[in-house]
Amino acid sequence: MAFDWVRNWLAISVFAVFATNVWPADKPVLAAPVASETAGVELFEKRIRPLFIQHCYSCHSSEAKKLRGHLLLDTGAGLRKGGDSGPAIVPGNPDESLLIEAVRYTRKDLQMPPKAKLSAMEIADLETWVRMGAPVPRTDAGSLAKAMDRTRAREFWSFRPIQKYPIPSVKDVTWPVNEIDRFVLHRLEEKGLTPVEPADKRSLIRRATYDLIGLPPTPEEIDTFLADDSPDAFARIVDRLLASPHYGERWGRHWLDVVRYADTAGDNSDYPIPQMYKYRNWVLQSIAQDKPYDQFVREQVAGDLMGGADDRERRERIIATGYLANARRFGSLPDPRYPWHLTIEDTIDNLGRTFLGLTINCCRCHDHKFDPLTNEDYYALYGFFQSTRYPWAGIELYKAQQDLVPLEFTDRAMASAREHRQKLAALAAKLAQLDADKEAADKALLATEKLVDEAQRATRVAETVKRLEQIGKAISAAEKERDNFAKKPLPYEAAYAVSEEGMDGKKRVGNACIQIKGDPQRLGKEVPRRFPEVLGGMRLPDGTKDSGRLELARWLTDPANPLTARVMVNRIWHYHFGKGLVLTPSNFGKQGKPPTHPELLDYLARRFIDSAWSLKAMHRLMMLSRTYQLSSRDDAANARLDATNDYLWQFRRHRLEAECLRDTLLAASGTLDRSMAGPHPFPDPQKWDFTEHNVFKAVYETNRRSVYLMTQRVYRHPFLGLFDGAATNTSTDRRIVSTTPLQALYLMNDPFIHAQARAFATRLLDHRPNDAARIRWAYLLLFGRPPNGDEESAAQGYLAQVRQKIQADSVPAEHQALSAWQSLARALFMCSELVYVN
Amino acid sequence: MPSRSLNRRAVLRSLAGTSLLLPGILSQLLAAEDGTPRSEDPLKPKGPHFPAKAKRVIFLFSSGGVSHMDTFDYKPKLFQADGKSLGIGGGLSLDRRPLLRPRWEFHPGGSCGTLVSDLFPYIRQCMDDICLIHSMTTDNNEHFEATLAVHTGSFFFTRPSLGAWLSYGLGTLNQNLPSFIVIAPYLPFAGAQVWANDFLPTEYQGTHVTPGKHPIPNVTRQASAPDLQERELGLANLFNRSHLKRNGHDQELAARIKTFETAFRMQFEAPEAFDISREKDETLLLYGIQRGDTASFGWQCLIARRLAERGVRFIELIDSGANNNWDSHADMAEHAKLAKRIDQPIAGLLKDLKRRGLLDDTLVVWTSEFGRTPGIDGPKGRGHHPHVYSSWLAGGGVKGGIVYGESDEIGARVGRNRVHLHDFHATILHLLGLDHERLTYHHAGRDFRLTDVYGEVVRGILA
Repeated sequence: MAFDWVRNWLAISVFAVFATNVWPADKPVLAAPVASETAGVELFEKRIRPLFIQHCYSCHSSEAKKLRGHLLLDTGAGLRKGGDSGPAIVPGNPDESLLIEAVRYTRKDLQMPPKAKLSAMEIADLETWVRMGAPVPRTDAGSLAKAMDRTRAREFWSFRPIQKYPIPSVKDVTWPVNEIDRFVLHRLEEKGLTPVEPADKRSLIRRATYDLIGLPPTPEEIDTFLADDSPDAFARIVDRLLASPHYGERWGRHWLDVVRYADTAGDNSDYPIPQMYKYRNWVLQSIAQDKPYDQFVREQVAGDLMGGADDRERRERIIATGYLANARRFGSLPDPRYPWHLTIEDTIDNLGRTFLGLTINCCRCHDHKFDPLTNEDYYALYGFFQSTRYPWAGIELYKAQQDLVPLEFTDRAMASAREHRQKLAALAAKLAQLDADKEAADKALLATEKLVDEAQRATRVAETVKRLEQIGKAISAAEKERDNFAKKPLPYEAAYAVSEEGMDGKKRVGNACIQIKGDPQRLGKEVPRRFPEVLGGMRLPDGTKDSGRLELARWLTDPANPLTARVMVNRIWHYHFGKGLVLTPSNFGKQGKPPTHPELLDYLARRFIDSAWSLKAMHRLMMLSRTYQLSSRDDAANARLDATNDYLWQFRRHRLEAECLRDTLLAASGTLDRSMAGPHPFPDPQKWDFTEHNVFKAVYETNRRSVYLMTQRVYRHPFLGLFDGAATNTSTDRRIVSTTPLQALYLMNDPFIHAQARAFATRLLDHRPNDAARIRWAYLLLFGRPPNGDEESAAQGYLAQVRQKIQADSVPAEHQALSAWQSLARALFMCSELVYVN
Repeated sequence: MPSRSLNRRAVLRSLAGTSLLLPGILSQLLAAEDGTPRSEDPLKPKGPHFPAKAKRVIFLFSSGGVSHMDTFDYKPKLFQADGKSLGIGGGLSLDRRPLLRPRWEFHPGGSCGTLVSDLFPYIRQCMDDICLIHSMTTDNNEHFEATLAVHTGSFFFTRPSLGAWLSYGLGTLNQNLPSFIVIAPYLPFAGAQVWANDFLPTEYQGTHVTPGKHPIPNVTRQASAPDLQERELGLANLFNRSHLKRNGHDQELAARIKTFETAFRMQFEAPEAFDISREKDETLLLYGIQRGDTASFGWQCLIARRLAERGVRFIELIDSGANNNWDSHADMAEHAKLAKRIDQPIAGLLKDLKRRGLLDDTLVVWTSEFGRTPGIDGPKGRGHHPHVYSSWLAGGGVKGGIVYGESDEIGARVGRNRVHLHDFHATILHLLGLDHERLTYHHAGRDFRLTDVYGEVVRGILA
């Protein structure tokens, strides 16, 4: 969308000045302002270069098979010099430029591209670009057909080193509480915005409690806070919440969104992964323990290579690599036909987005169209994962798990694992031999076509067909034998995690070759394993004997890496404030949005690294700011200047996520099981027979917190799908908020709602002596405040009416109170106040 | 007035008699019955910019990229493919590969004689009602982006969907059903963004319905408390309006209140709209479906007709999803079962609409997110191809029995009369009486439109 990139580059140009080449014009042209040079280059990158590549370079570039009209459009010099007909472009003057004349199709004898006229928008883009002086980026190689200039690319805001900016000055020195406030207020004052007043204490404790643990505050917690007049009352609330095990469940869920966690594999039959919960629980526990973020990242990328101080730590780190193992599976085929390149692409895609905020997977087939990432960068990363053994999830044509990683390290367990592996290897070898036999027989069958003697041919065909049948039967039997063995429970505990040993116990590590145009069958040159060039291009030390993932993990978390800390603090900010400083938390490239507060982002990133990558330190910093504690009240004057509240003059009102809504109802009705969940009740693996037509699909009810609901890749959990839960196929960096009649119907009619209403009503009736007390408690439990006079009398009147109605319907007396209260509970469950946080 | 409506009116009246706390909802319901919707209702019917024939759209989307040269765009030269001559091919239409011969023969259909392949023998019979476009083009060769763009005009960002724009522009003709309904068995590429309202008010968001016995979940009231429900809604409504007032009349909160009102009415209207048990055998036969069927594409098509009759503004049917779709990279033979699934149902829908006089004011659109390459990708398959592909329109306001535009001799590029996706959108809006340059919404400091700054109405196909 044109306006998006216009907005993008306008915003970018404020703080990133690119080195650009504006051609010396043949005719005097008014000097364009810097912003328009930058804009022109941006326009070139976004619109003109792709257009040239698509429509012109096959005939007008140094790589053209046959250069036409001696016109080279792939260098700045070539454009200026022009071809047989003269200069292609007069910078600044589209009407005098031959190129423009040609694409307009106004002359009979000069119409380009010859096959079909460009679209009106493409022509308009070319005209705009020429009018801007036809600027092109300064390039090393000189060919515009190649990707953009690396040095210039590093000037893009997100690739520049994290800067140290002075804490800005503000006019109202009494307002800021901490540094965040000074950065925010500075921009507010600059824009003529005035922050609204602080939130009231009830709103604040409700906001903070949902924010940190995803549950409502209890009436007792609210009372304690209201009674505490000390200056650090709120700081104590934050500390208490951060110490709660529910904090790990809430913030762990955010992480699971980003790493597109699922309990199934995503192949065409969506095989269950019974061990996946171990990784989920590892995430929840690591977050709860405030594991330093750099370590948290390293363990997920290379935990299996990190060893550990003891068996427990070693075990935890293996489980952490469930992050890699959880990469999506595709299709139905077993090895060696399984498309591993797609699973690796999914790995690189997620790794790029999650840790670096980059869409590296765009480079699978070609250099990145917008960001300074190359096809070679992609295959340099590919080598790490090609050298990694992913566990086998089971698939339509091999329905058992394989290559799980043992979590017991006793000699007995290790021997047992070795034995298991050898047996499987033998069974696989047998199958491979039969496959080879079949292939040979197929060839023999084809060869019979060449036989001239009809009789001889018929005999040979019959023999070969018979042989093929025999082989077919043998293959079926061998597959069954292998499947039966592979499906048996292992005699030791194992994780769905990665390792590097093949079935023969040996490592198969090495560099990857470029797959030309993303085709794994067409291999190009080998690329050494390394980090993307724009981020330093670090290489593995000579003699590296393993995949090198441990080095990769270190590069990812190197404090000098400009992206990792920025991306993570922005995520934290996004979850606290409803929007990130960078509005696209997983895209810090050119297609993403530049930060609204670049200096604050860098301040936070630096502070994050300096506080040992502690998430909890960041929560305290952000939540104790005055900015976080603002009211969510609207203000017409501010809204006129900043309708979307980009500059943080108010707190953003937001709807509870799907999980919070469900957990709140369970908590209020007293039915929430607060324990951590173990495995899901999946079908017995020995009976697995899922196929494309018989896809695994299940919903398991639980009263535990919603983070423990079983989530599938292919089929979304109905509740989570309805209330905008995370996507399970791709990384979710922001939850969508939709408001639909189907959600209303759920709250009106779903059995879950009716069951919770009953439990809630029972709880109120059992624990409070009269309706006034019950109404008050209900309000405190659901909305965090007591009812006002009108609300109380409306509720009282409502109960009276419903009782009357029920009596008329001759409901037995002992059920009347419960029925009336259930009805009131359902009405309260439909209240907006329940699902919105101020 | 049909008796159904009278019955429902009686039901509503009786509810009003027993409910003291629901003046709000019921008076509005009754007002709607009287044909006088509430003045502040964002979905109330609005006049178009200029008179138009089409009042509603049935949008048929085939997911994954349907090969134009194997279906609607006959390319004799491709039938001579000998494995040596090269054309655009590969997974993303970026390589030169040997040309692949189409698998299916073409035959003329209707009195116009437009050639259609044997993949669509039933639709072939309807060619006199169809305006076929051979020169469609789009800007992205990936499913996600191209699917998003077909629906929103935007390749990378979430933007309001076409159905949301139409609901915004024209309002709804039936207060008791959503104005924009998407019937899709699976999530498509780009997921729910395909029917998103984005910055438009939430009322305009598409309601996703999944084929099956209970297409709209929770539409049946709980047996334990059906007659208490209005009271519960009334009380919640009272509290929610007060909450709205306390929170600065937040648009999202207002939209939420509205969803309960729509939901309440859906309980009466929706089950009936989705129940085909009273359709005649002959009608079921026309769509090629069995009695009791609730999941086939034929069922989707028949429901589309029923929703069209009931005044739903924009009905989209998606035939597959992000998996198991038309994305035949490896073997074009996969197209056969997908075509078989939709051919008779779509033809049945066109014929049924026509004989009921609905085709005159219903615009039926069929498209995919892009076409497929003339050259091979996998051994027997074709890659993604955005440069040219085929789509068609039928019904309200379009010329039937014509072919507009051309691709080149192998279906690789546009030959004549390019129709960019933005032009396609501009034309659809035009057919509904909306000027794509005037249908705007002010957001984040500027006016947005479906076609951004592009789009030209394709005059040549207007009746």
